[in-house]
Amino acid sequence: MKFLVSKVEDWSLVAKHVVSLLTPSTMILLSGPLGAGKTIFVQALAKELGSKKIPKSPSFALVRTYKLQNTKQIDRLVHVDAYRLESEREALALGLDELVEPGSVLAVEWPEKLGNWLQPLRNPRIEMHITVDPRHETRHVRIR
Amino acid sequence: MVTRKRIEKKDVRDKVRILAIETSCDETAVAILEVGKRKGKDVSLIVKKNLVSSQIPIHQKYGGVVPEVAARTHVPETVALLTEALGRRGLDAFDAIAVTSGPGLATALRVGVEAARMLAFLSEKPLIGVNHLEGHIASAWLDPKNRARWEFPLLALVVSGGHTELVLMKDFCSYRIVGETRDDAAGEAFDKSAKLMGLPYPGGPEIAKLALSGDPEAIPLPRPMLKDPGLDMSFSGLKTAVRVAWESWKTVSEERRAQTRKDLAASVQQAIVDVLVEKTLRAVKKYHVKGVLLVGGVSANLVLRETLEARLHEVFPDIAFLPSDKKYITDNAAMIAAAGSWHLKKGESRDWRKLDANPEWNL
Repeated sequence: MKFLVSKVEDWSLVAKHVVSLLTPSTMILLSGPLGAGKTIFVQALAKELGSKKIPKSPSFALVRTYKLQNTKQIDRLVHVDAYRLESEREALALGLDELVEPGSVLAVEWPEKLGNWLQPLRNPRIEMHITVDPRHETRHVRIR
Repeated sequence: MVTRKRIEKKDVRDKVRILAIETSCDETAVAILEVGKRKGKDVSLIVKKNLVSSQIPIHQKYGGVVPEVAARTHVPETVALLTEALGRRGLDAFDAIAVTSGPGLATALRVGVEAARMLAFLSEKPLIGVNHLEGHIASAWLDPKNRARWEFPLLALVVSGGHTELVLMKDFCSYRIVGETRDDAAGEAFDKSAKLMGLPYPGGPEIAKLALSGDPEAIPLPRPMLKDPGLDMSFSGLKTAVRVAWESWKTVSEERRAQTRKDLAASVQQAIVDVLVEKTLRAVKKYHVKGVLLVGGVSANLVLRETLEARLHEVFPDIAFLPSDKKYITDNAAMIAAAGSWHLKKGESRDWRKLDANPEWNL
């Protein structure tokens, strides 16, 4: 599935589509350069899932969690940001094994920095790639 | 046993020494703060120990912060710093323990919290769980010049790599967040803009250095939410603006490049400072505060310090400007001890059995 995002509001359409694919314990892997809109997408996703709080960038904190209210099966959104990790070994500090719980949905920014840590996790996956068109300041979003 | 208790009682009356431990993110820190008798209006505060195992050299080597190295070294570092801080006096070196119990990274917080619980169990002394944000606010209390002008209600602007909050304080230990960033923290905006410009970590000081010889008005950058009447802020849009400016920078002729980079640095800094200062002024007006605290790592930024002080002086000449001493702006344990002293004075302490790390603790 492909989306063209040209204004902030468009992210809610992308979020609605992702929510339709979600099952408990899904990992959403978000790839794209700095400023692509990964955190804005997670904000739209949290809103769709019934979070009262608006997610903020977890780049410094590394992990932030949000309580969800819209569905019974999914009660927690875990927002992980591997931006500051410089080697795969460092993923140990995130305590990923503790974050992957049956009622949680994980949204992971910079998943490529987690490398092999994600492999043993058998959670359902959604991969999202965001590219920025510099001339038109639009985003192309590819989901699979 | 009876004699020992009597000595402890006397100690409590004369002066209280608070041992503090901070391991919420990248730094491991241990401090001992001695809170003495009141001298006139002021209390006597002496920072006896202030140990921080700064990991900046490791960060610079990697070109970014290294959390796993940080989380792992919290254990040996905490033990090493505690050994040094307590010295020969061991458990007699302190009368109470304060520890950062949130918010932060679970794996990192736990190291400090477990060490503090163990010390409280062994020493049977009061234990206090301190919020990291509250610690930053209390860093301003360590400066006697600030204590002399301390009058509630106060407004604190907390700015760091992970935080950008405006906190209203009506009393000690009473906090209300009245404004905050909706996305990136101000320190993060500095760091990520620097990264986009190819500058080394940490980006804030690098941008500030280049900005000294740049024109802050050369490159128009957005001031998001400045038109919004509320007190919330937003810095994530700056990344796109900086990237666009950076892309066009590449087309500038060789001789102009160095100056354009300085201009961009100055413009980024000005955009961030403008939003922080303007929102702070609005909060001052709205809540009729008597003083403004400026705390957290980004408060090292001179342009922010000077602009906020000048604008406050200009618009609200009677309001005290209370920035924390530069010694205590980055993560440290002396500020955690200072916040602990407020709770101790109110008689608030925790049973060691009940204190737990709380990664999502909102002030």
